[in-house]
Amino acid sequence: MRRWMAVFISLLVIFVLLDLFLVIGEGHDGFPWSHIAGFFALFGFIGCLALIGIAKLLGHYWLERGEDYYHKNDDNE
Amino acid sequence: MMTMSNFPLAIIFVLGAMLLPVLPRRARSWAYLVVVAIAFVFLLHLEAGATLTFPFLNYELVVCRVDRLSLAFGYVFVIMGFLGGVYGFHVKDTLQQVVALLYVGSSLGVVFAGDLFTLLVFWEIMAVSSVFLIWARRTPQSRRAGFRYLLVHAFGGSVLMAGVIWHMVSTGSILFNHFEGGIASYLILFSFALNAAVPPLNGWLPDAYPEGTVTGSVFLSAFTTKVAVYALARGFAGLELLMWAGAIMAVYGVVFAFLANDGRRLLAYHIISQVGYMVAGVGIGTKMGINGATAHAFAHILYKGLLFMGMGTVLYATGRSKLTELGGLVRSMWPVLILFMVGAFSISGVPLFSGFVSKSMVIYAAELEHQGIVVLLLNLASIGTFLSIGLKLPYFTWFGTDRNLKPEPVPPGMYVGMALTSAICIAIGVYPALLYNLLPFAVHYQPYTASHVIGTMQLLIFTGLAFWLVMKKLHAEATITLDTDWVYRRPSRLAYRVFSVEPARLFGKVEELSLRLAQFAVRLGANPPGYLIDTIRTARCAFFGTKKPAPEPDTFSPDRYRIPLGIMVLVVLLFLIILLAWDIIT
Repeated sequence: MRRWMAVFISLLVIFVLLDLFLVIGEGHDGFPWSHIAGFFALFGFIGCLALIGIAKLLGHYWLERGEDYYHKNDDNE
Repeated sequence: MMTMSNFPLAIIFVLGAMLLPVLPRRARSWAYLVVVAIAFVFLLHLEAGATLTFPFLNYELVVCRVDRLSLAFGYVFVIMGFLGGVYGFHVKDTLQQVVALLYVGSSLGVVFAGDLFTLLVFWEIMAVSSVFLIWARRTPQSRRAGFRYLLVHAFGGSVLMAGVIWHMVSTGSILFNHFEGGIASYLILFSFALNAAVPPLNGWLPDAYPEGTVTGSVFLSAFTTKVAVYALARGFAGLELLMWAGAIMAVYGVVFAFLANDGRRLLAYHIISQVGYMVAGVGIGTKMGINGATAHAFAHILYKGLLFMGMGTVLYATGRSKLTELGGLVRSMWPVLILFMVGAFSISGVPLFSGFVSKSMVIYAAELEHQGIVVLLLNLASIGTFLSIGLKLPYFTWFGTDRNLKPEPVPPGMYVGMALTSAICIAIGVYPALLYNLLPFAVHYQPYTASHVIGTMQLLIFTGLAFWLVMKKLHAEATITLDTDWVYRRPSRLAYRVFSVEPARLFGKVEELSLRLAQFAVRLGANPPGYLIDTIRTARCAFFGTKKPAPEPDTFSPDRYRIPLGIMVLVVLLFLIILLAWDIIT
């Protein structure tokens, strides 16, 4: 398990570092985030947590219902 | 003239569907594959630019119009029809095999339709044939879901028909080309968007697809929505509304997918999300956008088919598809996990898998048009896709809580089907030219650039990190999620009461009342004076509080109620006196 974690964390670091060289190197398309090294790492991390949070909030306060929500008495049909 | 270069492929499938039931049962699975293989041979001979027309009333029907756009969709539909047949090789249910052929055939019919009338006919056949893939599961849930599916698509078909007729009347043309606006084209756009499951017209998809049979849902996942993407690309390319609808739809799908408990419903929501990329590509409408939409449809049909095959195999082996009832299957079903992960990596856009080379074309098309918000929304959807399908679904199905499930053995055809589909997903990812050469326009795009690969890897790895941090707190919940199907499902109870229960009660009341009236008439008629006397006596007893005397007999007897002669004489005399008195006074 610890070895897997080491591989995982080194991957995280490697891809952000690679991005540093790239941003200095070319600075590709013209979006505000194109010049931030590791933007997609940050976006992935925060985006993932935000999606989970939004989905859970929506589900908890509004959308999630019991499984018999639509059919409480099936013999009515 | 009908030749090999303009042969309508739908004919092959219709003939096959008619032939299949009369063949011996053991030959039917082979026959299915042979029919699709023959169609593939014919498909290879189609030539871009060829058309086949028939005169019909005052119009020319273009039953087959071949160009690079329809060919690209035609290829993937036939390939998927074949792979679905391999996966469902064990199926002994002739109904499913026949309707699968009709469904694939009518989808091809739409894709090669050059006029709106032909389009409409095949559009309706698609809806009617596909519903049997849901009903074939033969459970109460699938029966109900199938009915809802059919009603929604019947409605969409009617809107399409209204639009087509309006278009015919107002422009005098029935050719299916780019629409130029006006009410007719909005009606047609509505019905296309309904089939593409663009929110808020998306409720039918996650409602119906998880209720299909194990093999039926593999077919369902591939055709209806992608036919709609084709139709949108043909008729509404460059409509900015679609670009925004697509981008929002991509995120909408992943948010709802995260809440789903049924594994196949989770996948169904990701169809909405992935179709969002295609709709966005169509809305951007540039050559890159249309190429991206087509490429993504091509790749998506295969990896989504693969994912439905994977979850279908789990359902087949365990009888379960809910995350709250699955877990710990890794020891017994690890080959399915590996094949499923190929699909999961493809849909997540991991480099070397097919989604990476197709999804990025749509995002790149948005980048070229400087639509920054669209780019971010689509990337956000990628995060959600990897989160739900790449991490959460496999975690809860193959790992998570070990529920000591004893899966049944799985037919070899299912593994072969999944393996073939996986192979194509990887082949496209490793060698994108395979896909790019089929696209409508020449491709000037290279997915494997350093910045793209690095950006994607960052996105995915950090999504993984975030998931790993909250993983212990996530647990599947045995709930359902409300979606726009609420609009017709919940009030259906009210409608059921208003149109069925209450009228029935009203009729019951009226019937009871008329019966009582008839009873009263019978009693009155049997003994009118007796009834009158009884009524007066009862009223008198009630008024004075005296004891009630014995009732009069039920039947009339003339002797009992004969008026004494003296009274009659008295009445006559009184009458004479009054007459006399009257005479005197006047």
